[in-house]
Amino acid sequence: MESLIHLEGVTHHYGSFCALRDVTLGFEAGAIGLVGQNGAGKTTMMQIILGLLRPSRGKVRVLGFDVPQRGVELRGRVGYMPERDALIPGLKGVEYVALAGELCGMRRQQAKRRAHETLSYLELEDARYRNIETYSVGMKQRLKLAATLVHDPDLLLLDEPTAGLDPDGRAAMLDLLSAIAGRPLKSLILSTHLLGDIERVCRHTIILDQGRVVGQGSIDELRDTRPSCYQLRWQGDGREFLNLLRELGATVDVLPRPNRVRLHLPEHVPTREVFAIALQAGVLVTGLEPEQENLESAYHRLISAAHPVLTVRPETAGAES
Amino acid sequence: MSTLSSGYREFSEAPRSAWWGCWTIARASLGLVFRRKLFWILFAFASLAFLFLFAVIYFRATLLANMPDAAPFVERLFERASGNGETYRDFMVGQEVITVIILAFAGSILVGRDHQQGGMIFFLSRRIHLFHYLVGKLLAVGGLVLLVTTLPALVLYIQFGYLTEDTLGYFKENWRIAVAIVSFGSVMAVVLSLVLLATGSWMQKSVPLVLSWICIFLIMPPIAGFLRHIYDDRRWLLLNLWWDIRLIGQWCFGTVRERHAEILPYASIVVIAVCVVSLLVAIPKIRAVKVA
Repeated sequence: MESLIHLEGVTHHYGSFCALRDVTLGFEAGAIGLVGQNGAGKTTMMQIILGLLRPSRGKVRVLGFDVPQRGVELRGRVGYMPERDALIPGLKGVEYVALAGELCGMRRQQAKRRAHETLSYLELEDARYRNIETYSVGMKQRLKLAATLVHDPDLLLLDEPTAGLDPDGRAAMLDLLSAIAGRPLKSLILSTHLLGDIERVCRHTIILDQGRVVGQGSIDELRDTRPSCYQLRWQGDGREFLNLLRELGATVDVLPRPNRVRLHLPEHVPTREVFAIALQAGVLVTGLEPEQENLESAYHRLISAAHPVLTVRPETAGAES
Repeated sequence: MSTLSSGYREFSEAPRSAWWGCWTIARASLGLVFRRKLFWILFAFASLAFLFLFAVIYFRATLLANMPDAAPFVERLFERASGNGETYRDFMVGQEVITVIILAFAGSILVGRDHQQGGMIFFLSRRIHLFHYLVGKLLAVGGLVLLVTTLPALVLYIQFGYLTEDTLGYFKENWRIAVAIVSFGSVMAVVLSLVLLATGSWMQKSVPLVLSWICIFLIMPPIAGFLRHIYDDRRWLLLNLWWDIRLIGQWCFGTVRERHAEILPYASIVVIAVCVVSLLVAIPKIRAVKVA
């Protein structure tokens, strides 16, 4: 099967600044999330995948195309939805989408027909003859998506597709992306700071940090790499119990509900030690379940592992714009 | 085509050559300009000279047909509309001010807004190369120039020939005039397109763009004239880009004056240099567009 993306030792410099460092990764068709802080290299990677930027070093193949050599052909099979508006004021919705289709190699009549179909699919048929300046934020996002889909690309590159949408609009957009990602032999790369969006749409994730890939693989794989985290529940006075656990070297995060904590055990400590300490402290352990780590936790863990000294605060890490 | 359960229809047909993208970009860009009322107002002004000359040629032909005895008087009276190269050259040169005004106002729509409002991202992420984008934009601007200068001049040329007694003879004898009209128009189109592309890439809003064009086409000519007067050297006139283009136009029509003949090569060099510099200025700005 043809690999969707294959990057081998890709490095890119802007002057003395290294935006991507020796990135090697490969993915089969499917939905892929791209996560990283500001300056992590997401934009550069998008540009390289789109064939608009030639990497300083390394090989790039996307959909079987050698990207630096055949960027124009590649873009005929890729749909790109940028974060910023990228609209052409003065055009009507249907003209904008048809123009995108024509620029992707469609004949004029075909492009017009497809523009109408795509706008109907995205529930913009009532607004298709309106000037695009009059569209709301949500409509503009859908219009951009329509321009991305009009030529039925094999790969979608989506940059913050839910930015600026209200909760209902966001849910609708994610449903739409999930449906698109579910089509056979179609793939998408979703770059966003909202890790929940990635969990909902994507099966694989690439985590970038300072130009390096610090994590890649299926979301389940990334979650599974955290074996020593548990949710602990007990009955009785837990103060001494928790103190004893801390003395053991465990990290205890108090959860909002009573008699319940998130417990990080050191790797060398077996879980039976927890029961032994409970017996010693006179409490009854009612639950010790391995915690299902979400993508956000995995992201912070991987970023922290890449920078042991730097503590990444969840509230700031996700606030990139 | 098959219909998916989600309502999305697949599409798979061989794409056209990326070169079609040039025409698509030119057509879409011109369409945006044509939607502006201001353009049609300016175009109406631009058409005044054409309509006037059209009427004069018609009037002259009518007088010549009805009063053959007064032919020498009529020909002397309408000397400027006698159907030789100078008639069309003067018309095209006379259109230069309105052409500059139209381009200065259309520049932000044709070029500036692509940089300012993300249109460039839209274009460059499609199945075209940067080169196709440039050609498309140059076609659009060149099309406007040709619409205001060359096309009306060709219509007047055809009208004059049609109203002449020996129509075929006029066209046979003066075919070089048609070539000269097209050549002069092409030079204007290429130079002005490149200058607009360069200035529009850097000054994307209307006001700075208009000001920059005022500097190039309204302020530079008197400065050039002043320096020429001070130093008594015609080469200072080369600073006036319109003058350089006009000189090349005179060469196209074979009407270069003797005293200007020696400056003609310099004017050509200046015009070529302006084109090259414009491209060199525009391309990095376009390449620097951040796609994501």
